[in-house]
Amino acid sequence: MSKKQQHTVDPVGKSVPRVDAFEKVTGEAKYVDDMFFGPDMYYGKLVLSPHAHAIIKKVDVSKALAYPGVKAVVTGEDTPYRIGLYMQDRYIFARDRVRYVGEPVAGVIAISEEIAEAAAKLVEVEYEVLEPLFDPYEAAQPGAPLIHPDMESYTWPPFIFPEPGTNVSEHFKLRRGNVSDEGVAQEVWDQCAAIVEQTFRLPPIQHVPIETHVAVALWELDGKVTLWSPSQSPFAQRDLIAQGMGISHGDLRVISPYVGGGFGGKAGVSIEANVVAMARAVKGHPVKVRMTREEEFTTTNVRQSLYAHTKIGCDAEGNLLAMETEYYFGGGGYNDYGVNIARAAGYSCTGPYRIPNVKGDSRSVYTNTPIGSAMRGFGMPEIHWGIEQIMDQLAEKIGMDPAEFRRKNAVRTGDTILTGMKMTPINLVACIDKAKELIGWDEEKKPSAPNKKRGVGIAIMWKAPAMPPNPGSSAIVRFNEDATVNVYVGGQEIGQGAFTVAAQMAAQALGVPFEWVRVSANPVDTKYSPYEWQTVASRITWSMGNAVKRAAEDARRQIIDIVAKYWDEDPEDLDIRDGVVISYKSEREQPLKKMVIYGLPNENYEGWQGGPIIGRGKFMPTYVTNLDPETGQGTRAVVHYTVGAQAVDLEVDTETGQIEIIKIASVYDVGKAINPDLIMTQIEGGAVHGMSSAFEGIFFDKDGRPINASLVDYKIATIQDIPKKVVGDYVETPLPDGPWGARGVGEHVMVQTAPAIANAIYNAIGIRVPDLPLSAEKIYTAIKEKEAKEKGE
Amino acid sequence: MRPFDYYKPKDFQEAIALLSQEGKKTFPVAGATDLIPMARDERWLPDIVVDIKALPGLRELKLIDEGLYVGAAMTMNEIAASPLVKSTWDVLAQGASSVGHNQVRNRATVGGNIATSSPAADTPPSLLVLEAIVVVRGPEGERRIPITEFFLGPRRNALKKGEIIVGLILPTPPEGAVGSYHRISRRHGADLAIVGVAVLAYPKAEGFGWRVALGAVAPTPIRVPQAEATLSAAPGKPDEAVISQAIQEAVAASRPIDDIRATAKYRREMIATLMRKAIEDVLEKL
Amino acid sequence: MLHEITLKINGEEYQVAVKSHHTLLTVLREQLGITSPKRGCENGECGACTVILDGKPVNSCMVLAVEADGSTIETTEGLAKDGNLHPLQEAFIEHNAVQCGFCTPGMLMSAKALLDFNPHPTEEDIKVALAGNLCRCTGYYRIIEAVKDAAVKMEAEK
Repeated sequence: MSKKQQHTVDPVGKSVPRVDAFEKVTGEAKYVDDMFFGPDMYYGKLVLSPHAHAIIKKVDVSKALAYPGVKAVVTGEDTPYRIGLYMQDRYIFARDRVRYVGEPVAGVIAISEEIAEAAAKLVEVEYEVLEPLFDPYEAAQPGAPLIHPDMESYTWPPFIFPEPGTNVSEHFKLRRGNVSDEGVAQEVWDQCAAIVEQTFRLPPIQHVPIETHVAVALWELDGKVTLWSPSQSPFAQRDLIAQGMGISHGDLRVISPYVGGGFGGKAGVSIEANVVAMARAVKGHPVKVRMTREEEFTTTNVRQSLYAHTKIGCDAEGNLLAMETEYYFGGGGYNDYGVNIARAAGYSCTGPYRIPNVKGDSRSVYTNTPIGSAMRGFGMPEIHWGIEQIMDQLAEKIGMDPAEFRRKNAVRTGDTILTGMKMTPINLVACIDKAKELIGWDEEKKPSAPNKKRGVGIAIMWKAPAMPPNPGSSAIVRFNEDATVNVYVGGQEIGQGAFTVAAQMAAQALGVPFEWVRVSANPVDTKYSPYEWQTVASRITWSMGNAVKRAAEDARRQIIDIVAKYWDEDPEDLDIRDGVVISYKSEREQPLKKMVIYGLPNENYEGWQGGPIIGRGKFMPTYVTNLDPETGQGTRAVVHYTVGAQAVDLEVDTETGQIEIIKIASVYDVGKAINPDLIMTQIEGGAVHGMSSAFEGIFFDKDGRPINASLVDYKIATIQDIPKKVVGDYVETPLPDGPWGARGVGEHVMVQTAPAIANAIYNAIGIRVPDLPLSAEKIYTAIKEKEAKEKGE
Repeated sequence: MRPFDYYKPKDFQEAIALLSQEGKKTFPVAGATDLIPMARDERWLPDIVVDIKALPGLRELKLIDEGLYVGAAMTMNEIAASPLVKSTWDVLAQGASSVGHNQVRNRATVGGNIATSSPAADTPPSLLVLEAIVVVRGPEGERRIPITEFFLGPRRNALKKGEIIVGLILPTPPEGAVGSYHRISRRHGADLAIVGVAVLAYPKAEGFGWRVALGAVAPTPIRVPQAEATLSAAPGKPDEAVISQAIQEAVAASRPIDDIRATAKYRREMIATLMRKAIEDVLEKL
Repeated sequence: MLHEITLKINGEEYQVAVKSHHTLLTVLREQLGITSPKRGCENGECGACTVILDGKPVNSCMVLAVEADGSTIETTEGLAKDGNLHPLQEAFIEHNAVQCGFCTPGMLMSAKALLDFNPHPTEEDIKVALAGNLCRCTGYYRIIEAVKDAAVKMEAEK
């Protein structure tokens, strides 16, 4: 490389280059489908349900098995196991019934992918078609046909509250202030000068990672199992598959190289359990299954649909007084991950606002649609879509600037928030002010052509990592002879820069230059990597960061102790700077080279001390408490919140309804910017992802078959669709238990983009669109209706 | 994808013989950008694929007495960048540069774009206003099909089994002609047209002659003769009333459908928007 | 049906027997072990499989391998020369134009083909050239900056 040799001391807070970039620009970086498994490998193809809801009467695999080159066919008969991250509601292969179009019913294993594909068509499944349910609100009503009639036999963790006998897989209740189960007390509403009540709907959308799901599994003759998958959660995959299939955790090894785009879609278990089950049928042969782009839409997972009905009121001065909200998430055929999204939406149901009286009900509901699962923002983009549009309308009703309205009501550090928890340190007001400044909130903006109308909008957000109370992280720091350092982590590099940040933190805590650190985490390998719960929830910088910092501090302490003894000095007087142990007292220096492996001799070589330095560190939040199931109240609902503000400047073409985004300005409170430029890359990518999501949706025919499950008709933003400009900044209000005060910002950057756009559209043309997506046709039609109405009046 | 056989003949006789085989599904292929996805989805099940790129004349683009000859296997990018095309037949360059994205335009050919006969294809509206002639060779020799008679329905056309599109003849438009192609799609980058409108106008003895063609709003790409007549009857440049009337006539002649990309209603509205833009664009250049 | 074909890939000649219906992407990845062109949609929509075929960027999933007989093919594996990164690769690193990295090889190929043909592209030229390469991570801004920067550096190196 022609690059000059870099030497970066104290890298935390500096925009060092990504440690994974070199491999990725040379093509050396290997993804699962790039790996070579030798001539013994077989290929698998999943047989998918063509029906949204049906009883499986009979599965006949005889013709498929007889097809030349086919080695085995696996069906639900072979896999009587239920799996699921929270709600264990899903058979690996459907057994009694299918619950969405695209559900795996069987898996064909053959010597080539083509043969597997051809034979998969020969698997004969007899179905008795049942009435499907697509709308989460309707599916939640009493008397709706049951999608999971045996729900009470499932297992779930104590913080999930399903309602067996209905299609509701989770019901989170939030009751605060002067409220009852019927709602906020009328006397509170009577104090409101403005009330807005509205229904919002969001269709399911897909992550569209450019790498589709792929998995390779090998079940060896001695019972050891290896799974290769691009996973945000190799350890969770190991746990769920081991538990579900009765394999010892010690015998199941998950190897996960670079992930070609995650966004939540590669969290938890999707097709991986199917592939492990298929590998069991052909022991000794690796089996590879890869999703086509079309299958990625139907058979992996999606962001749930949402039906939201929300009513919020404020007094004449703009103080928010009351909120009632009902969220119905269309969780899909299985809600194994989705129940926790409804829960997160419940305990954060107000958005980042001070509202004294709140009645919230958040439900995930079984529907006969693809599995709803984690996606960047985890329920927050969905609920902020409505909340942020209502806030604008309230501000308008009382004649207040929408940014000022948000400043006034924005949650502040130390507030007792809706769950009764004390708000962790943040500065949302500063985010709003900076976003206003970056967008030029108070400047007059002229449209570029007579047929265009220009508008600005703002939206704010909050999000907490949504997870069990005690997800753990661990890390190991190991020195080499030349004092270079290998950092072992189990968190995954999904593009966000996790490995780079881990290297920065280790170097900073150790006192060595950044360039001395190597991150040994590709692939993440459950056999060798330290435990990490999952790379989700924007928790890695914070949680894994803490573990890395502690591991580095542990190693540092060991080194200092050895040198202190060697010099006969107080360890408190010693420090490690730029790879050298120094004494502030004696001003002596001891380079780390060699001594971190060989130790140091005693005087006159009368023996030695020290030895190879290995530091270990772990982190697990220990303070999250249960919430009351009837009120959602408790001491500490979540570990912390991250907040931010986004402002949008756009034009609407009134002749087509098309929207041209001129600028998006994003400001988030990151606690501490470990790598400022990586934050900017999240801000830019997130703004485009958020914008794109406002125009996306998966749509179904009357039988539940997706009609746009391909990139031909499911369009994500191309380089020609991006806003003219995305600008950003951050605020640093340190998080007390964050490494150097840091918290994550990977998801937040897209949470409120869609409502910020919606608010800007309203500002431009006076039209509110309560349902996503924001298609040009929808905007155009609304413009024409408004014109007709105005003419009529 | 189901396996098939592939041949790349050097002469028409061999190519036509291969394509004419009874009892086999045979497909001529040039850019393969339609064949591969269709075969992968098994919506097309070819037994034999005949690569026609090596046949004489298919990769030529040249001036001939009647105007311009464009070999069927010329790619969209080659057409869009051709100074010859841009000189007099620019509306085709505009259509060709709207197809898919750069990688696709390096493979997709003009012959393929019309052979697939998708109602939403981007070159047919331009070819319609240029009054292109499709040169075809088959078991019964060569024949010429006016582009107006080529398209029969969605993915249906006048080609018979064994026939190959050799190229297109683009007659030289009347002196001073200018054309404009406008389209709308959901996304700016690489998306299928919801509506495409091509307009061509040229000075005549009194006023201007007009040709208008629409894509994605009927079972085939269409010319709209009544709208053309209205515009052409104007004594000079058409005024607002004439343009509005022509647009109404064009909309009336369309038969759009509802699909995932847009409703018929929106398509009709966008015919109006785009046709107006295209006419204004042409008027500016006339 | 099998065809013996010759491909010149990154300067090396390969002789390989390919099936009629196999795409260039399949042959590069599965038969020749050249894995920088990625499989993203096999439908010509995502651009992750972009290679430069006889000087032009194409989706290798939209080319039958047999059609490429006798062609010259460039992939990301051949970008670095004599142990030195191509200016585009350096610029992608410097501008943080890489996140998950899955679209990167295809992006680099489209960008290289652009700069080979048009050494002074405008921002609009870059967008037109890269419109067939989807990226879900970066928002594309850094990629545009990297291509612009590489163009300047390549000019200076001349």
